[in-house]
Amino acid sequence: MAEEFVVVKEIHKSFKDFKAVNGVSFSINKGEIFGLLGPNGAGKTTTIRMLSTVLEADSGDIIIGGHSIKQEAEAVRSIIGVCPQDLALYEDLSALDNMVFFGRMAGVEGKAARAQAMKNLELMGLEDRAKGKVAKFSGGMKRRINLAIALMGSPQLLFLDEPTVGIDPQSRNHIFENIQGLQKRGLTVLYTTHYMEEADRLCNRIAIMDGGQIIALDTSYNLKSQIGSPEKVTLEDVFLKLTGRSLRD
Amino acid sequence: MKRALFITLNEVRLYLQDKGDLAFGLLLPILTFALMYGAFGGDTMFKATASIVNEDQGVYSQQLIDKLDIVDGISIELLTAADADAKLERSDVLLALYIPAGFSDTLTSGGKAELVFKQRGNGGLEGQILASIIRSAAAEINQEFQALNQAQSNLEGKGIPVSDIELTVRDFLEKELQQPSVGVTEEITGGSAEFINQYLPGIITMYVLFALSLSARAIVEERRRGTLERLLTTRLSASELFFGKFLSIIARGFVQTFILLVLSYAVFQLFTPLSFLACLVISFVFAAAAAAVGMIIAAISRTEESANWIAVVVTMFMVMMGNTFFQVAEDSVMATIGKFSLNTYANKAYTTIISQNGALGDTWSQLAILAGVAVIGLFISRMIFRAVPGSK
Repeated sequence: MAEEFVVVKEIHKSFKDFKAVNGVSFSINKGEIFGLLGPNGAGKTTTIRMLSTVLEADSGDIIIGGHSIKQEAEAVRSIIGVCPQDLALYEDLSALDNMVFFGRMAGVEGKAARAQAMKNLELMGLEDRAKGKVAKFSGGMKRRINLAIALMGSPQLLFLDEPTVGIDPQSRNHIFENIQGLQKRGLTVLYTTHYMEEADRLCNRIAIMDGGQIIALDTSYNLKSQIGSPEKVTLEDVFLKLTGRSLRD
Repeated sequence: MKRALFITLNEVRLYLQDKGDLAFGLLLPILTFALMYGAFGGDTMFKATASIVNEDQGVYSQQLIDKLDIVDGISIELLTAADADAKLERSDVLLALYIPAGFSDTLTSGGKAELVFKQRGNGGLEGQILASIIRSAAAEINQEFQALNQAQSNLEGKGIPVSDIELTVRDFLEKELQQPSVGVTEEITGGSAEFINQYLPGIITMYVLFALSLSARAIVEERRRGTLERLLTTRLSASELFFGKFLSIIARGFVQTFILLVLSYAVFQLFTPLSFLACLVISFVFAAAAAAVGMIIAAISRTEESANWIAVVVTMFMVMMGNTFFQVAEDSVMATIGKFSLNTYANKAYTTIISQNGALGDTWSQLAILAGVAVIGLFISRMIFRAVPGSK
């Protein structure tokens, strides 16, 4: 039986009268890539913020790597890495300085931070641009740096919030290969995206959220089987069937 | 604590990377000093131009003008009546002296001559000082004239030529002027009378107050970059983030003030080594207090615009109510409100050191208040800070 690395138990979060997350429960196995899909305003970002310790749930609990977020938030922060949807970089600094700084924040000491930064830059194919100012990088390169920073501190759980938005197919493919490589080394990944083919290609299991609740959770194959032949239907068909075709904010 | 220092170092590194910001930060104190030198570097404390309409053109009107011309700091501008009226109308001058036609003849014939001041409103401070100097020159002529008349009247019919009487009287008055019977000696207690000593505390407090607007933007800049939320998912705590930012802002504010003080020390020679160190200590504590107030603004601001606006309003309040450039009357409502301004305490401390030759120990109460504001402000800012709406 697979070891559960993340356990989310009946979490709720409201902002005044608006229920952003309404009784969400799921678990992620160690070494699994878990997809979290949903239209805008479904509650994905709030859920990720609660899992990454930025927001506290009104009720329910989250256990990551055996640590409860409520009681041991700092222990949780020491085993997670977050790659936010929007670039979160110091554009005036070099790629290496960014990496070393966030490495230090993740608890990596002096020379080790530099060595790990170089290793992660190499992984992203950016080792020859280590001393280049991030402001002068292309969109794809910035995305790769954004991901490389999340790997500083050697996290056991990686949150990837739409990591491939606005980049060319080459950079996207490079990122996919890296994520799959990290999974082989035992990293657990929570992946959100609006690109259904990405989730289909990468994720072992997928949860679809809408209205602050999980409305479906299974493998891509099984989700597709619910509405037709898995060879003929796409994950997008499933998504639209479950969440409807009306426009969202 | 270690991570807080990394935040400080990162801030310094970002500051050094921004060449424009760096140049502005380092050049500003030098520029401020250059302005101070221009304003206070000369020898004369009062400089003004006396606008005079001389419709008389006689011997006594010229004598009056000559007397004014030799006063230090006064230069003479002779105008026609029409020009003077036009300048007064446009507020180019606030006060003009009109010497009416027949002024000298009236005096010669023993009559009473009048000078006329025309002024806009109260003539302004410069106009009032000028008017006082002109009255004094007129009084001298009056005294001279009366002494001469008296001597001529007493010696009339004694066969002494009028020119000899005039020469003797003028010689006597000249001697009296050189060695007056009643002399005035200036004794200065409690510091120098130089204007720079009076204004430097205000200039420094304004300078250190930059720390307030810098720190007000500290958190929203991280939020705008997207790095705030990312930082808070690392092992860095919000308290370490705040403390790291706080230290970096004190460092920036302090370095700028240090440059200004060093230049003042070198050029105006205002300080002894001890008073210079005392000013550095005050600057450090004041920068910490200003940075802490700025951090409260940073904690409540969601955008750079709102942070800037709140910082501007708070800074204006501090400057206006804090005895920065003008003295607020004691026991007034403004003085009571001014107790909420950091400048009140900083200005008092600087003034004690710079203008009154006091020691650092004399400023302990002001330093204690500023240090208290720094500690409490930092604590409050951390308490009210929310990384994202709804977070704790």
